[in-house]
Amino acid sequence: MSRIGVFVCHCGENISATVNCEKVAKITGELKGVEFSTDYKYMCSDPGQTLLKEAIKEHKLDGVVVAACSPRMHEPTFRKACAEAGLNPFLCEMSNIREHCSWVHPKDDLTTEKAQDLVRVMVEKVKKNKALNSIKVPVTKTALVIGGGIAGIQAALDIANCGHKVIMVEKQPSIGGHMSQLSETFPTLDCSQCILTPRMVEVAQHPNITLHTYSEVEVVDGFIGNFKVKIRKKSKSLDEHLCTGCGLCTTKCPQKKIPNEFERGLGFRPAIYVPFPQAVPNKPVIDRENCTYYIKGKCKVCEIVCPTKAIRFDQEDEIVEVAVGAIVLATGFDVLQPDFFPEYGYGKYKDVIDGLQFERLASASGPTQGQIRRPSDGKEPKKIVFVACAGSRDPAKGIEYCSKICCMYTAKHAMLYKHKVHDGTPYVFYMDIRAGGKMYEEFVRRTIVEDGTHYVRGRVSTIYEKNGKLIVRGADTLMGGIPIEIEADMVVLATAGVANKGAEELAQTVHVSYDSYKFFAEAHPKLKPVETNTAGIFLAGACQAPKDIPESVAAASGAAVKVAALFSNDELTRDPLVALVNRQPAPVFSTCVGCFLCQSVCPYQAIEREEIKNRNGEVIKTLARVNEGLCQGCGTCVALCRTKAIDIHGYSNQQVYTEIMALLND
Amino acid sequence: MSELIKKVKALLNDKTINVFVGYEKGSADRIRACFARNEAQANKVFFDASCTQNLAGYLLKHEVKHFGKLGILANVAALRSIMQLASEFQIKDGEVYVLFANPDGTFVEFNDFHSIEAYLQTTDTGIKAEEQERIASLEAMSNNERWLFWNKEFEKCIKCYACRAACPMCYCHRCTTDVNQPQWIPVASHERGNLDYHLMRAMHLAGRCVNCGECATACPMDIPLNLLTYQLISPIKETFGATAGMKADATYALSTYKPDDKENFII
Repeated sequence: MSRIGVFVCHCGENISATVNCEKVAKITGELKGVEFSTDYKYMCSDPGQTLLKEAIKEHKLDGVVVAACSPRMHEPTFRKACAEAGLNPFLCEMSNIREHCSWVHPKDDLTTEKAQDLVRVMVEKVKKNKALNSIKVPVTKTALVIGGGIAGIQAALDIANCGHKVIMVEKQPSIGGHMSQLSETFPTLDCSQCILTPRMVEVAQHPNITLHTYSEVEVVDGFIGNFKVKIRKKSKSLDEHLCTGCGLCTTKCPQKKIPNEFERGLGFRPAIYVPFPQAVPNKPVIDRENCTYYIKGKCKVCEIVCPTKAIRFDQEDEIVEVAVGAIVLATGFDVLQPDFFPEYGYGKYKDVIDGLQFERLASASGPTQGQIRRPSDGKEPKKIVFVACAGSRDPAKGIEYCSKICCMYTAKHAMLYKHKVHDGTPYVFYMDIRAGGKMYEEFVRRTIVEDGTHYVRGRVSTIYEKNGKLIVRGADTLMGGIPIEIEADMVVLATAGVANKGAEELAQTVHVSYDSYKFFAEAHPKLKPVETNTAGIFLAGACQAPKDIPESVAAASGAAVKVAALFSNDELTRDPLVALVNRQPAPVFSTCVGCFLCQSVCPYQAIEREEIKNRNGEVIKTLARVNEGLCQGCGTCVALCRTKAIDIHGYSNQQVYTEIMALLND
Repeated sequence: MSELIKKVKALLNDKTINVFVGYEKGSADRIRACFARNEAQANKVFFDASCTQNLAGYLLKHEVKHFGKLGILANVAALRSIMQLASEFQIKDGEVYVLFANPDGTFVEFNDFHSIEAYLQTTDTGIKAEEQERIASLEAMSNNERWLFWNKEFEKCIKCYACRAACPMCYCHRCTTDVNQPQWIPVASHERGNLDYHLMRAMHLAGRCVNCGECATACPMDIPLNLLTYQLISPIKETFGATAGMKADATYALSTYKPDDKENFII
């Protein structure tokens, strides 16, 4: 005979407003096997938990049903309380009479009756509960950082400086990300490269960091503390150990007119190239799509000139398998593609450029060595129009959010332009100026007051070319919406920041959720901003939403602390609510017939094959076996198993059947 | 015939196989399965157009398996059963000697799964025209009519489990029906228990049925059980592009996920 305790919570008035809690406690107290029942205003409070603990001891309870909120909310609380009172925590179950009853029904006798039914079902379930022991799984104290921009670099360095190993994967031939493309950074105007490149070098030289550039993550298996990751190292067509990075090959390559991605198409590069002079690692890769040898089958000039004979035309992609305990996603963002703005003529008129292109023009290492020259004829533009919110905050275009960084970088662009072209006139078309941040508003003021930037509040309707000038048409809404037309020499669009190409695929590969804009989703917008819903995977930087550098760095350090906290444990404790394949005496061994449908359906690769051998070592039967460390207890295998050879602890066939029967046999 | 018997004898003599699963004439010349283990038994092996049973159902039966290495006289349905069983890891390549009874009267040896797959690509594996008509008439019914039709059919069921025994895909040592802790499927042959049993069987055969029709042939109460599982063949093909028993290394349509799977069944 069971000795079950029923504890009915009022949840303040959340439950008691519509459910007669005293009655629920009284009626369920009369159920067979229920030894004790009571109700209390706040069961989760300290006195409530004390009441539960004392009842367990006093009445020698061997099972507990807490009728309160969702188990997602307080199951851990009450199981812990049970454990403290000496009862196995898995003999405690919650009956959800709040979300499933009081919140969704009016005050009525039927509502109370439903609450009684829900408690009764759980009482029957608890009778079939078994005492279980938590599973301990080891933690691999190595972190994987995906993305080598400023966020990835910061996270990697912080984790590495805590003494943990870090593996960094970067898609491009060099780390650095978008920050390496920037000229100066707001609001202090310090040179982006100057503050970034020392950190890039630190990553490359840090004894705890392994860097994989020109690489992508292909497969992520496993779970928190124990991920298994396959990384595809794309062939650089180069022996990195032999290459000294002298750069001779890049000067001799006959392909010289390939648009340079790093310069956003404003310059050219050869087929064997280093993305930019400060690249880390500073060794070239061969772009096989544009290399004469891969297209026509002959050339090999780079191989001939290479003093260390490092070129490897037949090099293949390499798959590296690593084991990591945590993953930081820092894959960054992208800016809108040109075809998004037919009305602004981006892509049609050479002198309509985007913000990143302007960064390259203003950069001392850029295609114009930092002089502001327009792309069409190389002349110095005397009048520039900056268009903020190009794409952002535009529901008609499908980007409803604010890209956040554009107000500040547009102000910076206007300022840099005035610093370089003293007789130039910058105009800024804006919707609102969003300059929340330390020294941000002051910076924008400076652009307007000290540098004389003309800020026009209104949107640009169209841009067209006339007599070598770009005619920008808009309206000034602060002047009553009068139409405004500016003859500009160059137009800079502050294009919306969007999720990186391939973000959706990556999210599916690493199993994290993402929002409708394909930005990765945090676990809680306020209280868990760097966690994802997948335990052990964290977010840093603009892969989550548009972010500026200080925010990206702060998020990266936040993610790094989460990783370090995870790595401070030698092993993790997990709930033992996992699947189990039954075992039987020989010669059956198990009712499992080894069809392994469970193996193909398991989302966590938790099903293994176990061979039963006889004394001669011959395999007589192959069975499925659940790896408890990997199993997440989702129960998909149970649903698919035709022989019902798999069952799941805590939600066994027997328990579910008992619950249903308790309801049916009312 | 003598050619077949000679072949079986040779196989038994050189110990290629220990038992040959074929056909023989039983009492009143009725065709039945035979399990030839020696010359005398091999002499009884018989084959003509009336031998249509899918013998693959015997391959995993403990009583047959314990003889050792098996040989089988296979028809198209048996070949498909072997492929499906292979994809469910029940038979390994080379484990069973397969002699295929060609419709033209000759016998072909299939040495490996690959040659069986190749043959199945070239032959008609579809459902017979008259059965297709019956499925079409079932699908033309309203939900309620179909419900009444099946309930009426299942009323006849005596729970003898002949369908289960005849089915090459029902190879579990312990059927769900036999699980009594808890007893999801009532064992008694009453209305509800019969319905539960047949629906469970149909679901377990979704995407696995090789349309051999053995279940209906075996049924002493003449319930057209094959129609139940046949009806699931085309939805699986349309939704997941999968046909059971065509490839030895196929993945099960209902246990695998592909990003390009149609999701039109999600409402």
